[in-house]
Order: sequence, then structure tokens, then C-alpha cells
Amino acid sequence: MSEQPASTRTGPGRLLVAVYALFALSATARAVVQIATKFHNAPVAYLLSAFAGAVYILATVTLTNGSPTARRIAVVSCSVELVGVLGVGTWSIADPAMFPDATVWSSYGSGYGFVPLVLPVFGLLWLRYWARRTRADRDAG
Amino acid sequence: MSCVNGAVPTTIIVAGLALAGYALTMTAMNRRMSVILLGALGVLEILLLVLVGLIVAKLASGARPASVPTLVGYLIAMPLVPVAAAFWGLLERSRWGPAVIAVAGLVAAVLMVRLHQIWPVIHV
Repeated sequence: MSEQPASTRTGPGRLLVAVYALFALSATARAVVQIATKFHNAPVAYLLSAFAGAVYILATVTLTNGSPTARRIAVVSCSVELVGVLGVGTWSIADPAMFPDATVWSSYGSGYGFVPLVLPVFGLLWLRYWARRTRADRDAG
Repeated sequence: MSCVNGAVPTTIIVAGLALAGYALTMTAMNRRMSVILLGALGVLEILLLVLVGLIVAKLASGARPASVPTLVGYLIAMPLVPVAAAFWGLLERSRWGPAVIAVAGLVAAVLMVRLHQIWPVIHV
């Protein structure tokens, strides 16, 4: 049997946290530049980018921390992220006029290789693995 | 010279994709971080620093992209990618260390395409 990861930030979590950190940085930096330099071009898109950046930061921090409380917050942020990418993705296709400039979540994250769509799914699967393991440990102990 | 030499960004794309392919193979084969992976990351880092130097020289000559803050952000973030990946990958004592390195290789390649979009003088 292979050794089990010790925390949400080790094993496969190492990869997950790396990709989350990447998106936290890129979405936030991009939103800051856009809001600071050309906010009136596409206010809805830029505010949504900033919100996405904040959600990615929260997920990165809580997945790195890995305590039971942090994992609960991570479940919420990954869920918000999934709803966000599906909602904004649909909205951007239904009403392109609202989005003269793209957000991370436009067209389900197609500008980012659909990683924004896949990332919360893997995040939630990883958190479910931890929830089950914690429960199994408690039942065994 | 009207453009940044296209050989460097193209080399970075090829090197980044090759690194990602090799690192993912290591993950699939259940291997841990290796000196070879670290050396390859070092090569990628040098290539990225050369490109930063070329772009700074271009800026010094008076040319400007449409969005200077975005380009400056890329110039700062680009060389940090291999360093952050090496740090985070070395912390991991399993197959997932090389997987982190694979992300750095892919990101380096994608950054070249984005750079070209930000400032078309940077030919890919």
C-alpha cells in the first residue's frame, strides 16, 4: 500500500495548491491592473475577475492550511468557484455585451484552457477524500 | 532591430513543453524529484532571465506596449515561476513533486503566447 499524504497540501494536494496559487496570483493581478487602468471599459467583468481572484486566494490559503475549519472554508470557496465558473460562463455566452473584456470565468474559462472549470471539481474531490478519511479515522479510533 | 529576437521565446516554449512532458512521465512512473529536473528548471530560469533582459532592453530603447503595467507584471512574475516550482516541488517527497515542475513548464510556454499578445514585438 502506498503511503498516505499527511495533509491537504501534500501528495496530490501539492499540485492542487500550486495551480490554485497560480490562478490566485494571475486573476488578482490582472483584476488590479484592469480596475486601476480602465475600470469603465467593462466594470462587471473586472469586478468579477477581482471576486474570482479573492476566491482563488481563499482556496489556496485554506487548502495549504488543511485544518478541519480550513477544509470547511475550502469546500465553500471551491463550491462558490464552481457555481461562479458555470454561472459567469453561461452569462458571458448569453449576454456578451456585458463582457466587452474577458474574465477568468468567461466562456467557462476557455481563455485559460478550461482549467477554471476543472480546478474546483478536483478541489472538491480532494476535500471529499479528506472528509472520508477523517471520518474513517474517527470511527476506527 | 524592430522586434525582440524570436529565437528565445520559441526556445522557451519548446523547453517548457519538453520539461512538462518529462516531468509528467516521472509522475506517471512514480518517481520523486531528481537532479535532472532541477537542472532543467535551472535552464528554463536562465532562458526566462535572458528574455527579461531582451524585453528590458527593448523598453530602454523607448518602445512601449499598450499596457505597461501588465508587461511589468509579467517581467516580475516570469522569472519567479521556476523558482517557486523548485521550492514547492522539493518540499514534496512523492511523485507529485515532478507534477508541480510540469506545471511550471506549461506555464512558461503559455506565458510566451500571452507575452506576444500583450506586445506583438515579442515574436514567438
